[in-house]
Amino acid sequence: MLIYAINRILQMIPVLFVLTVVVFTFVQLLPGDVIDTLIGDEQAEDPELRKALEEEYGLDKPIYMQYGIWLGKALQGDFGKSLITRRPISVELFESIPATVYLGLVGIGLSIIIAVPLGSIAAVKRNSATDYAAQVTSLIGISIPEFWFAIMAVLVFSLHLGWLPSSGYVSPFEDLGQSLYYLILPALAVGFRQAAYTTRLTRSSMLDEMNKEYVDTARSLGFSEPKVIYKYTLRNALIPTITISGLQLANLLGGTVVLETIFAWPGIGQAIYLAIIDHDYPLIQAGILVLGIIVVCVNLLVDLLYRVLNPRVALN
Amino acid sequence: MSKDETTHNPESKTGPTRRQFLGTAGAVAGAAAVGVSPNKAEAAKRDPKRGGTVRFATRADSRGLDQHRNYYYYVSHPLAATSMGLMDLNLKMEPVPGIAVGSEVSKDNKTYTFSLRKGATYHDGADVDAASVKWNFERILDPKIGHPFVRAAIKDFDKMEVVDKWTIRCHLKNPSAVLIPNVTYYPMQLMSPASVANADNHPIGCGPFKFKSWKKFDSTVMERFENWYETDAQGNALPYLDAIVGRPKKEDRVRLTALRTGEVDLIDNMSYADATGFEKKYGDKYNTWDVPQVGTGYIGFNMKNGPMSPKNPHGKLLRQAAAHAINHEAVHQAIFNGLSSSAPAFYSKVSPWHMPEVKRPYEFDPDKARFLIKKAGAVGEAIILTSRDAYAYMHQTGEIVHAMLSEVGLKVQHEIHPYSVLKQKWQKGEFHLDSTANSYRPDPDAWYGRNVYSKSATTKLRTGYVNEKADKLILEAQQTLDKAKRLELYQAVELMVNEEVPMLYTHYIPLLEAGVKSLKGYSPAFAGPYSTQGAGLRASWMS
Repeated sequence: MLIYAINRILQMIPVLFVLTVVVFTFVQLLPGDVIDTLIGDEQAEDPELRKALEEEYGLDKPIYMQYGIWLGKALQGDFGKSLITRRPISVELFESIPATVYLGLVGIGLSIIIAVPLGSIAAVKRNSATDYAAQVTSLIGISIPEFWFAIMAVLVFSLHLGWLPSSGYVSPFEDLGQSLYYLILPALAVGFRQAAYTTRLTRSSMLDEMNKEYVDTARSLGFSEPKVIYKYTLRNALIPTITISGLQLANLLGGTVVLETIFAWPGIGQAIYLAIIDHDYPLIQAGILVLGIIVVCVNLLVDLLYRVLNPRVALN
Repeated sequence: MSKDETTHNPESKTGPTRRQFLGTAGAVAGAAAVGVSPNKAEAAKRDPKRGGTVRFATRADSRGLDQHRNYYYYVSHPLAATSMGLMDLNLKMEPVPGIAVGSEVSKDNKTYTFSLRKGATYHDGADVDAASVKWNFERILDPKIGHPFVRAAIKDFDKMEVVDKWTIRCHLKNPSAVLIPNVTYYPMQLMSPASVANADNHPIGCGPFKFKSWKKFDSTVMERFENWYETDAQGNALPYLDAIVGRPKKEDRVRLTALRTGEVDLIDNMSYADATGFEKKYGDKYNTWDVPQVGTGYIGFNMKNGPMSPKNPHGKLLRQAAAHAINHEAVHQAIFNGLSSSAPAFYSKVSPWHMPEVKRPYEFDPDKARFLIKKAGAVGEAIILTSRDAYAYMHQTGEIVHAMLSEVGLKVQHEIHPYSVLKQKWQKGEFHLDSTANSYRPDPDAWYGRNVYSKSATTKLRTGYVNEKADKLILEAQQTLDKAKRLELYQAVELMVNEEVPMLYTHYIPLLEAGVKSLKGYSPAFAGPYSTQGAGLRASWMS
C-alpha cells in the first residue's frame, strides 16, 4: 500500500504541473489586467507608471518567464504576495482554505451519515413505504437547488425559530463550540443535496450487491440477516458511495461560492472569484494549485479506502 | 451604494474656500483645539454610556491594509475608523479641523501652512508631528506606492517644509483654492512612519479606533484609541464605544437577516426593496437612517468616437434623443423603489452645492426621441451600452435604459463587465453609453475638475468630453475663494453639460442603514458611519 501511495503521489506531479500551466494560460487570456485595476482612472494615461508597476510585479517579462519564475518560487514554498492586498499568498490562503475544507468535510460527512443508513434501509425494505419515503426525499433533495435550501434553512432555523445563526464563521481552533454552532446551517445546506445523491447511489449499489451469489451463500451458511447486510453487503456497496463522496468533496472545495455568499463564509471560493475579477494571478495560481493538491490527495485517500473496504482490490 | 467606480475612481474632494475655512476654523477653533464635538445641547440630552461593541455588517470589505496604497473609502470600508487626516469632515461634509487645528494660505494661493494639534498621536504613541506628516505626503506622492486617487489629491505639491515640530508648510506648483478638502482623512490618511514595514499587515493610523485584526471576508476588529483627542460637550473622551467589529456580508438580504437575528447591531446598504416597508414593519425594534445622497447615477456618452460623439454631425441629436427616451420615474420606481430622487445636476437638495436653477433640460418624451432619431437618420443604429457588474443599480439601470432606447428605435446591445474590462473598452472607445455612478464629492472640483474638465485623466478615459468654455470656468473655480462665486461658475458648467449631454444625470443614490434600538447617538452622514466629527460611530454608544 505504501508503494502504491508513493506512486500515486508521484503521479500527482505531472497532473499539478499541467493544472498550473492551464490556469496560468487562462488567466492571461482574461480581458483586462491587474495594472488597470491598480492604477484606476487617474493614471490611466501614464505609460511610465504602467511600466514601473509592470516591472515591479514582473509583468514586463514574457509570459513563459513569468510562469517559470512563479513556478520556481512556488516549488520553494514561496507563492509571493497578492497584487491587490500585498499580503503573502500564504496568509491569504491560510485564512480562506481551512474554512472551505472544514465546511466541505463536515458537509460530506453529514451527507454520508444521512445517506448510508437511509439508502441501505431503502434497499433492504425495497418497495415498502420506507423505501418510497427515502426515494421521494432524495428526489426532493436532488431537485432543490442548494442556494434555495440554504435560504429556506436560514428563514426557518435562524429567522423564525432563532435556533441558529444565519451567517458568519468561527474557526474551530478559536472556539469549537461556537464554530460548530455557526457551521450547522451551512453544513446542512451542503450535506442535504449531497445526501440525496448518495442515498440513491447507496440504495442501488445495495440492491446490486444483494442480488449477488455471495449474499445467498452467506444466508445459506446461516449468518444472521443483519450480519449479511451490514457486514458483507453494505461494505461492498460502499465502494461507489465512497468514490462519489470523494468526487463531491473535491467539487465542493472550489464550488461553494454561492453558499459562501449566503452564509458570509470566508472561504476560498470567494477569494478566488475576486482574484479572477482583479487579475490577482499569484493568488489565483496558488489557490488553484493548493486546491488541486487537496483534490488529488482526496482521490488518493478514496483509492486507499477501497482497499480497506475490500481487501481483494489490488492497489497496483 | 458602497463604493462605486468610486472604488477605483473616488476622487478627491475640495471644500471651503480660504475664507470659509478660516471662518470655520475660527468658529470651531476653541472647541477644535481640544477636539470638542459640536451640538452641545443635543449632547447634553443624550446621556451617553462608555463601552460596548458595535457589530457592523457592511456590503464591502477593505481591499488591503496599507492606508496609502489602498485608501479606506469612508462609506463602506470598516478601516476608515482607524484613520485621520489634516482635516476632518462634519455632518455637512464640510472640512473642519482634524490633525491640523489651523491654517494660513498665502495671497497667491500657492502656499498653505498648517498648525498641527499638539498631543495628537499615532496608535503606536508617536507624535503626529510635522515631520511625520511630510513623510506621509512624500510616500503618497511616490507613484509606486500612493493609490492614484490619493496621490491625485496632492499632485500639485511642489515641496513641503517642516517649519517646526507642529507646523508644516506646503508649497504648490499652481494656485489652488481647493487644497483644504483634499487633505481630509479621506483620502489623505496619516499613518505612523514607524509602521511602514508592516503596513500591509498591521496598519497604524491616528484615527478614533485602532486596528486590531483583519480577516478578509470575515471580520475587521478595531478598538477604541484611548488617546483620541475628540471629546463630547461634557468633556468626556470620544469615542464611547470599546470596539467596532466589521462583518462584511456581501448580499443585502444576508445583512438584513443577520440584523434581525441579532448577530449584528448595524447594517449598511439595505436593499431598496427591503427598505420600503421595513420601518413600518419593524420600526419598534430597529432604527433606520437615510444617507440622502451617497452618489449620483448617470449615463456617460462616448464623445470620442461613434454615432453619439461630436464626430457624427448628428451625435448631439442622438444624445438628446437618448435623454428624451429615458423615463426617470420608471428608473426611480423600478430600481430604487421610490427612495431616490431624479437628478438634474450632480448635487442634490441636501448638498451645500445644490444648484436649484439647473433644471432637467430633456423631459421623458419617447415620441420626440423617435423624431430626433429619425431626423438623425439613425433608426436601427447599433449602440453599445455598458455597465459595471459590481453595483446592482448600475446594471439594472442599464437594463431599463436598454429597453427604453430599443423602444424608440435604436438597436442596443447591453454589456455588463467588471471594471478592468470596462476600462479597456473606455480606452478603446468600444462603447457608446455607459450606465455608471460617482460617489458624493464634498467639493465640486472633485467632480467637475475630474469628470468634466477635458484634460483630466478620468474625462479623457471615459467620455472624452471637450468644452473649452467649461474648462476655463472649472480652472477659474479651482482658484476662486468665494463660495458663491464658485457655485455660479459650476452652475454655468452644469448648464453646459445639460445642454450638450456628454453625460445625463439620472438619480441621486440613497444609502439606507438600519440598526438596533440599543445603538444610541448614531447619525450617519454623507461620510458614512465611521468617521464624521461628532457623529457616526465616533459619537454613538450601546445602551
